[in-house]
Amino acid sequence: MPKTPLVAVVDDDEAIREALCDLLMVTGLECSTFDSAPAFLDNVQNHFDCLITDVRMPGMSGIDLLERMRAGGSDLPVIVLTSVIDSSARARALDLGAQAWLTKPVADDALLDQLKAAIGAEDWPDGPEQ
Amino acid sequence: MTTQVSEPDIADFASESVVIFDIEGAVHYWNPASEALYGWPSLTMVGRGIGHLSTRSENEREHWRMLLQEGTWQGVVSRRTPSGIHIAVDIRQYVRFAQDGTPRDVIEYGRQSLSDGAVPGADWHIPDRLMAASWEIDVSASEALIAQIARLRGEADAEAQLNARHNDLVKAARIINVNERTMRLVGGNRGRDLMIGQPVAGFWPLESRATLGELIVDAMTGKTEDATYRRQLPSDGILRDPLVTVWRAETPGRIYAAVNGAVDDDRSYVYLRASEARYRKLVHHMPIALWQVDASHMGRIYNDIRATGVTDFGAYLDEHPELVELAATTVQITDVNRAAVQLLGGSSALDLMRPVGYLFTVNRSSLRNVMIGRFNGQTSHEEITKIETFDGRVLDVRMSVTYPKVLAELDVTIFSFEDVTDRMSMEAEIRQLQADFTHAARISTLGELTTSIAHEINQPLAAIVTNAETSLRWLSRDDPNVEKVKALTARIAASGRRASDIVQHIRGMASKRQPERVATDLNEIVQESLIFIRHEIESQSIGITTDLARALPNTMADRIQLQQVVVNLLINSVQAVEAQGTGTREIYIGTSLTESGALAFTLRDTGPGISPDDLDRIFEGFFTTKEAGMGIGLAICQSIISEHGGVIAASNHPDGGAQFRFEIPVETP
Repeated sequence: MPKTPLVAVVDDDEAIREALCDLLMVTGLECSTFDSAPAFLDNVQNHFDCLITDVRMPGMSGIDLLERMRAGGSDLPVIVLTSVIDSSARARALDLGAQAWLTKPVADDALLDQLKAAIGAEDWPDGPEQ
Repeated sequence: MTTQVSEPDIADFASESVVIFDIEGAVHYWNPASEALYGWPSLTMVGRGIGHLSTRSENEREHWRMLLQEGTWQGVVSRRTPSGIHIAVDIRQYVRFAQDGTPRDVIEYGRQSLSDGAVPGADWHIPDRLMAASWEIDVSASEALIAQIARLRGEADAEAQLNARHNDLVKAARIINVNERTMRLVGGNRGRDLMIGQPVAGFWPLESRATLGELIVDAMTGKTEDATYRRQLPSDGILRDPLVTVWRAETPGRIYAAVNGAVDDDRSYVYLRASEARYRKLVHHMPIALWQVDASHMGRIYNDIRATGVTDFGAYLDEHPELVELAATTVQITDVNRAAVQLLGGSSALDLMRPVGYLFTVNRSSLRNVMIGRFNGQTSHEEITKIETFDGRVLDVRMSVTYPKVLAELDVTIFSFEDVTDRMSMEAEIRQLQADFTHAARISTLGELTTSIAHEINQPLAAIVTNAETSLRWLSRDDPNVEKVKALTARIAASGRRASDIVQHIRGMASKRQPERVATDLNEIVQESLIFIRHEIESQSIGITTDLARALPNTMADRIQLQQVVVNLLINSVQAVEAQGTGTREIYIGTSLTESGALAFTLRDTGPGISPDDLDRIFEGFFTTKEAGMGIGLAICQSIISEHGGVIAASNHPDGGAQFRFEIPVETP
């Protein structure tokens, strides 16, 4: 039985973290949440299958986080999920190899499609465990 | 002391007619100049009555009676000569009194009138010092008091009581009429009309009021109707050794009083009169409306109340509102100036000479405040109030009250009313402009924060959308998970409320409204303000440290305006930190209660700080160091804080960065 994919969610807004986690769970994915970029970096050694991050956060932005990860050699798929409409930040994120730049509120299918692309169809679960 | 040199001997050589009458009017002495003037030899005149010289003996008798009562007279009379021709003679008559105050005789000086043939008119000039100051006084309301005094006189050791009652009698006695001289001596230049109806005490020297009261009782209780009662008074600064004579008038309950005496010093008297007249004229023409009020009886009531241990007079008046009504209906206005008449649109000063109630028809509480001021021994009281004019307009006025200094002295309270209606409406316009300007600044701030605000609202909306879609996924499964959906629905509701709260805050900031003071928690203001700015802070990756004092007292404040101040200061700090670029990116926010009990808000950032040159000007309007700024933010912060009675200051922190601090006093509702 393939292991359940683990997705990290970094967002300073608790309601967003909870909502995303619930969506991932109903899909059959596992989820770890972090309220800031540094908090995620402290746990970056964990074997995440994908990262969903906000951009604007206190302490460190999602773009800075992406830069740090790439500088540190991580090629973890990253989906940026933000309400910021900032084309230069978007271009920077895609340059750094972000899987996608999605804006909030995001349609569940749009997010799950990108997650599926990031994780790979073979590892994609059929649904939550009963 | 009257000189006892025998006048007839000297008068024999006088060029003026000198006649001495006994008090019955019979000639006692007739000098040679009289023989020359009238043609009657001394021998035929001595022993004859004055009627011999006059064809109108009825008038002569009345004149004589008045002369004996009043003491002096000067005027022109028509006198009969042996040839039957009448001549006009200028005469001056003086009654001379014995040591015990009874009239001894009358001495008359006379010379032929220069205006021979002319009928003496009412306007003939009579020098003040030769004329008695006479009064007609009504004491009909004081019958009981007079009877009480009469009883007290029989009792031993009643002197102090008697003295007080005599004073009371003079205060209760009302002026029916006064003559020209009385008016000029004590009435100022306001004329007879303003003396009539007033208490005699208001015009009678304090030191001799009891004496007058005593004489009034003598006259009113005397057996003989036309008996006169006479007393020498102490010099009072107006008259030297004045002699007052009192007798009963024909009208029941009324008495006449005549005061004789030389003016202390003619020159100083004239000077005093002139100075008094100038002062009166000055007051009369002052552009500020003035009322003179006699509230002496209220002063006594206050003393009685104070004696019962009352200290909080406001509370006492709340329990006894009838006392305010008593003042309104019994405190008499004794004088007003021209501006007062104009202010109220009266036709003459007399319209205003009524009890004070009409000044407080719009705002009775102002009269209450005036009373409290007097009770508390204040020297003055001032407030903005409203007054109704005679034609029904309501004016905004600044009322100033000056209380009498010594309660026992002449009890004169001065009210001034200054029409500030125009000023108030101008101030209202300025307030409106300020409110408009403050509102415009808020809108401009909101404009700057659009991205932040959009983000703040978008967050809960994003959560709602995701939660709803997740719910649908749970429901559309073969085995719908209702428990999961319940939990998600509760979260959807919470996020919806959060979005709605944010919209409320924005609406508050954006609304155009009149400032209003409500009980406000400064910490709440700070937290609400952070909602507007949070996204800005996050986007700049700035750390926020808050140190909010616990259990701060609420204060009456305009929430939106205080929020505006905090948001403005926060935006400045975020921009400063942003401009700094490198180093620590931190904003510290603190609230506290100062030692003096004021609420303090402090904000410090790690930006570049404020240039020392700019520190002094930073709160000036249109002062800015930013390219895009208009320089109104801090100016408005300052005006809002000072509207709240507080102060705001900018400084540089010793560890770097700018620091702003405002303090506002705690105001309870």
